[in-house]
Amino acid sequence: MSTFTGKLARVVLVVLASAGVYLVATHQHGQRESIRKAEVTLTPGCADKLRRYGLASGERYQSPYVLHKTGARITARGYSDEDVRAIQRGCNIIDDTQGRLAGDVGHERWNTTRFIRGTQLSCDHCHQSIGDKQDARGNPLKGSLSLGASWAMADMYDRFTGLLLPFELRQMQCYINSSNGYKPNISDDLIRDVTAYSRFLSVALDYKIGNHHDEQGVDEIPASATPKQGDDYVRGEALYKQKCARCHGPQAFGTEADGRVVAPALAGPNSWNAQSRNYFYYVSTILPGFICRNMPPGQENTLPNQECRDIAYYISNLPRPAGDRQGPVVALSHQVMMKVLPPLLRLTAADRSGGVPVERESGRDR
Amino acid sequence: MNPSASPDGDAPAETKPGRHAGWTRMKTPAAVGAIAAFVLWAHLGSGVPAFHAGVSPEPGWKQFNADYGIDYFGDDGQFVRAVQNGYNLVFYTYKYAPRFTRRKAGDSANSCSSCHTAEDLAYAFVNSDRFDPKLGMRVSFEDRVRRCYAGAMDGFAPTIYDPAVRDIRLLARAVAHHLQLGEGAIRKAG
Repeated sequence: MSTFTGKLARVVLVVLASAGVYLVATHQHGQRESIRKAEVTLTPGCADKLRRYGLASGERYQSPYVLHKTGARITARGYSDEDVRAIQRGCNIIDDTQGRLAGDVGHERWNTTRFIRGTQLSCDHCHQSIGDKQDARGNPLKGSLSLGASWAMADMYDRFTGLLLPFELRQMQCYINSSNGYKPNISDDLIRDVTAYSRFLSVALDYKIGNHHDEQGVDEIPASATPKQGDDYVRGEALYKQKCARCHGPQAFGTEADGRVVAPALAGPNSWNAQSRNYFYYVSTILPGFICRNMPPGQENTLPNQECRDIAYYISNLPRPAGDRQGPVVALSHQVMMKVLPPLLRLTAADRSGGVPVERESGRDR
Repeated sequence: MNPSASPDGDAPAETKPGRHAGWTRMKTPAAVGAIAAFVLWAHLGSGVPAFHAGVSPEPGWKQFNADYGIDYFGDDGQFVRAVQNGYNLVFYTYKYAPRFTRRKAGDSANSCSSCHTAEDLAYAFVNSDRFDPKLGMRVSFEDRVRRCYAGAMDGFAPTIYDPAVRDIRLLARAVAHHLQLGEGAIRKAG
């Protein structure tokens, strides 16, 4: 009898556990569905951008940007209300990945912070102007990591992975390496909404499938594009203090004010990891290219190639999280460096500035 | 405890010399030989597409390549090979995706091309990721392909990563490039 009771109890337990999992899954599924149907509160940047590009539901879509630039009326298939909301959510995710402007990160940003270890990084830090950087006359900027142009050129051979890299997998790599985090599922709304937004950008700017545009990716700067002085840590440090530390902080740990990220971390726990393509020792041409074409904001394309390579070399020698290929010893050494260095540097800065250990102020003083 | 070891543990005892020892000596070379023979057969003699690095050229590929300018992407790059595999999947589905369809060579509608042209796929690709009122959800191109395998092709849905899905997308992308389609392009009537 007792054996039978025991077996019955085990069966009931398994059934109850399964029912519990089913109920939780159903609840989560319903919650996601309600988020998809909910009105989207746009960030100020997204509200402005999507208004300029004329996003609205309807049978047909005509890009005001293309009309203004070329005078051509190109008619494309319009968007349903559901599609518009997906594009809006995707834009919000790019502009405010950490959900600092959101009332509820979980609901409004699909829990993006689950996939990012740091507290600063946002897609918009690399894909500037919400993935669509333009000059004052509205021309897309070369090497500005345009999301629309990336979508048009997705699925091509990627020399770093050796894959025909789909747009969704590229996003997953961004979460793992550039955001030093974890990859979402390929079918996650987080990924799909960003794809929807990128596809909308590509129609708004009239990119054709498979055509290369200068604004796609980074305009890489190899050593051969410099006067061959070699990449210099000391020159890089001096240049960093002169041109970058004001915004990014003396230790490149980023700066924040009023709860907003003024400039993101370039080193330390909030930065990209050592498996990111931004890491000089992994790919030595991308970070210099990014710096030359995108930095400092408002003065793009003013730094010479050599200076960009020197700054990138210096930045990449600062401690940062290890990537998935570095192994536990390197990971540990970087963690120790990130824990030990900041207080030491603050201490020395405090000594020099008469006991005022404020990171940003010390950066300005130098 | 090893039963063949000698009591004092110095060396294994030779219990059955002769035929058994000969087989023991031959076991490793025989295994290596069998593996080598299988590899050679798989690559050279089997004719099974999964064992080829290259893509088997099917009738019509050269014309398709010329019509849609696939050479724009290179002579023999990874992308072009994937597009060629996509061509095989679309026009000879029963042969190249037998895991995902029950249709056989003798059936009337046994490939994607029975219903879709390559240009249909290109337009479908640039109009994908849209809300489908019938399904009540936003549907990607890959979702559509998987549904076709399971429904129209009377088979099973591959995973989203499977080359049986990916290479059809790449074929659609290559054709869309040739037609210079952008996102949401509308097909002109006639």
